[in-house]
Amino acid sequence: MTTIETAAEVDVEVRINGRRHRHRVPSRLLLSDYIRDVVGLTGTHVGCEHGYCGACTVMVNQDAVRSCLMLAVQADGAQVRTVEDLAPAGSESLSPMQQAFHDNHALQCGFCTAGFLMTLESVDPDQWREPERIVELLSGNLCRCTGYQNIVNAVAEAWGAYHGDGGSDDG
Amino acid sequence: MSLDIDPHIRHSTRHVGRSVPRREDRGPLTGRSRYVADIRIAGMLEVVFVRSIEAHARITAIDTSEAAAVEGVLAVFTAADLADVSTFPDFIPYIGPVEQRPLAGDRVRYVGAPYAAVVAVDRYIAEDAATLVAAGTVYEPLPTVADLDQALAPGAPRLYDHWESNCSFDVAPHKPEVDRAIEEADRTFTETYVSQRQTGLPMETRGVVADISDGTLTVWSSTQSPHMVRTTVALMLGMPEPQVRVIHPTIGGGFGTKTHIYPEDVVVPWIARRLGRPARWIEDRMENLVASVHAREQRHTVEVAYDDDGTVRGVRCASMLDMGSGEIFMPGTAPVFVTNACITGGYDLPNMEARTIGAVTNKTPAGAYRGFGIPEGAFVMERIIDRVARLTGTDRVDLRRRMLIRPGQTPYVMHGGGRLDSGSHTESFERALEITAPALERARARHADDPDVRVGVGYANYVEPTSPSYHLTTGHWGGGDAATVRVDPDGSVRVAAGLSAIGQGAETIAAQLAADMLGVSPDDVTVVLGDTERAPYGLGSWGSRGAMMLTGSVLLASERLLDKARRIAAHMLEAAEADVVLTDGAFHVAGSGRPSVSWAEVGTAAWVRNVDLPDGMEAGLETSGYYHPENLQHQLDDTGRINAAASWANGTHIGVVSVRLSTGEVRIEDYIVVHDCGTVINPALVEGQVHGGVAQGIAGAMYEHFQYDTDTANPRFASFMDYLVPTCAEMPHMEVDHFESPAPEQPLGVKGCGEGGTVGPPAVVAGAVSDALSEWGVDLTECPVTPVSVRAAIRAAEAARGGAGGAP
Repeated sequence: MTTIETAAEVDVEVRINGRRHRHRVPSRLLLSDYIRDVVGLTGTHVGCEHGYCGACTVMVNQDAVRSCLMLAVQADGAQVRTVEDLAPAGSESLSPMQQAFHDNHALQCGFCTAGFLMTLESVDPDQWREPERIVELLSGNLCRCTGYQNIVNAVAEAWGAYHGDGGSDDG
Repeated sequence: MSLDIDPHIRHSTRHVGRSVPRREDRGPLTGRSRYVADIRIAGMLEVVFVRSIEAHARITAIDTSEAAAVEGVLAVFTAADLADVSTFPDFIPYIGPVEQRPLAGDRVRYVGAPYAAVVAVDRYIAEDAATLVAAGTVYEPLPTVADLDQALAPGAPRLYDHWESNCSFDVAPHKPEVDRAIEEADRTFTETYVSQRQTGLPMETRGVVADISDGTLTVWSSTQSPHMVRTTVALMLGMPEPQVRVIHPTIGGGFGTKTHIYPEDVVVPWIARRLGRPARWIEDRMENLVASVHAREQRHTVEVAYDDDGTVRGVRCASMLDMGSGEIFMPGTAPVFVTNACITGGYDLPNMEARTIGAVTNKTPAGAYRGFGIPEGAFVMERIIDRVARLTGTDRVDLRRRMLIRPGQTPYVMHGGGRLDSGSHTESFERALEITAPALERARARHADDPDVRVGVGYANYVEPTSPSYHLTTGHWGGGDAATVRVDPDGSVRVAAGLSAIGQGAETIAAQLAADMLGVSPDDVTVVLGDTERAPYGLGSWGSRGAMMLTGSVLLASERLLDKARRIAAHMLEAAEADVVLTDGAFHVAGSGRPSVSWAEVGTAAWVRNVDLPDGMEAGLETSGYYHPENLQHQLDDTGRINAAASWANGTHIGVVSVRLSTGEVRIEDYIVVHDCGTVINPALVEGQVHGGVAQGIAGAMYEHFQYDTDTANPRFASFMDYLVPTCAEMPHMEVDHFESPAPEQPLGVKGCGEGGTVGPPAVVAGAVSDALSEWGVDLTECPVTPVSVRAAIRAAEAARGGAGGAP
């Protein structure tokens, strides 16, 4: 029997969306695969597996992280948040940003949406609410359906900032 | 019948025509959607495909023993194992047969061709073992052809030994009136225009999960056409169709790439059946870039006959498609025919002779991408008009005005037989010009003080064939779709249709229409799409057919259901059927104060309390409708012409760009779209389709380009680092306005809007940049327009003048 050198298994303890998870996993397991396949939270999507498209973005402690570029073992001891944690628990309602995406038709196929939402969740709106800053912030996430305009509008609306087509700043 | 003319339906609230919020949103927003990669079945195995690293080679040996011996690997399969699987059908008689097998046998014709499949308990182990199969593969390289010139050169290495050359098809109509135009016109010019290789690139890659249990093979596939997958998988595996169920769960975009039926759609089910265990394959992005179809690589050589006053008398065009290896089902041949059919766009130019040629090369098979040949043709036409305007000193806008199809000129039959049933070709252009004027002034003012910047404007007036025939594309399927509508005992409505939801909001519009037809809230309508077991046969979502086919079929089924429901209600009301009307969801006798009968009461009578039914009436309240657009043609007529689309949308795109001379940087300052897709069901969704289409069009106009090494036909791309997908930072502000010219032959007047957005940008950007650089005489003939190509054009113009640097 051929055995490929696949490195050791390691213990990982991560708090995801407030719940503690402990698993013994291969050291090479990606955080994205850990979240999706081991923990079973499939709202985090894998779009390129080379850190470019941003679909797999989650929050590790306070930072937006591409979970396809991080090993599960590197998240040992960390707090992770995923898209499943954004809407108020036990309620039918959405977070203000989710609601703004819905109201502005800022998603179509929805595959990239979780990544956008987690990127947005990781920042302080006060630092990013200017239109140029919103574009800069979102330029790390690819969307193939919307042409981005409605996403930018949704963010501006949720953050109560500049609105779309040549309008003015909020008061 | 339209909603407005049925005297028996009276609702105070209408949903068609309103931006009803999407019911599809909640899942993706909260992370609760289920895409193919999210499906988990106990005992599920992972499949990894091993793909050719040679562009053209014989495979003389594959040693799978090391891979098979890896702990956790269950099997390694090659073509020899799949002897019981038939080849993909070659349904189209006039193109070269490729006899494609699901796994390549002893011959590979492009980098990325799958020739082995590794099955293991997890993906990581399967990937490990796949590298051992690759290492155990012995290739005998063959000479390659990397482009059309190489493919069609005399004595070129052939991809298919049983073909006479690499030419797959050459359809050459001859039009004597074009000969005459060329002979009689004041002047002619010849030029070659080039569109580059791109792909649809949905954010969700492809994926297949297959499981066989209780005699039924269930396949979850990220396909745009589940019924077509069912028919093909059953055929190739030799199974009865009722024993194959294909489901597409939530789909992360398709853009045409997922209309094709790929080797993996067949091999993964075969593995599940062979091993008796569920199996899954999820395409990774690196393989997606070589294993999902490419598109748009065309070359057009034109001879244009025109007069001194700018009148275009006739055009002779030879359109050539680089098909890649051609090993894809359905074949990727059709887009270049669509290019030629639509090449005259919104212009009245019957004197067009268009030859259509396809050749195979050692590259990824070409296939469908949103736009499906239309953008390539629009690029050619608009570049021709700008050239004629410049050569004759005619104003570019005025020349377009002279050429556009005028109000009252529809129905208009195009050179190839396309029948523009209605439209706003002139009106859209004029409206777009109005919107553009202040945008252009703003851009000029913004850059007035910068000597390094020039501003230009570009135009495109296009037509968009919607709900096309699939017969010329597939050689097999036609162009209809079915829907079933049911009212249950509790009065809730269920709509099931063969159309599929791929992110465009199909479920929402089905609910809007059913709600209006039956007088209920969209919230009371459950919509089932994308499951061959739960929904009737349909061809899926592609070709801007979703809105038209879905509303056509749901309307038909709803009318039939309503007819029966009214008979039941009339019986329960003890009234004449003709007197019963449906007002806001309840049946009652017109003008009477008698109590009404609800949908729940009618549904209960139909399914449960059959004693309440009229004597002799068959129980149940479920009806179907198969919608086939009446004027859709599937075959060429005696003159070689065809109207292969059920309707024709149209639109105008105008872009204002600035060009930085020193760097070649192009910035789209404003992008204006005036769009006409007939009756609009949901304005927000239509606008979303336009936005997304324009973004993909701009991607093709300025960024995305699959490049291959000309000596080896090896791809020069492997990731998003070298295939440049635009981010929001590259997108201009888009302003969208609408006309609504109803489709005269569709019950609601709906046309379709999926693809139009992609059509304009290549023509617009090339036109605008050429305009900005008119001082240098720059006239771009190729996309993408990049800083490199802009600088090269400026340098070439300066060299031609013998001058150096600076504006003339």
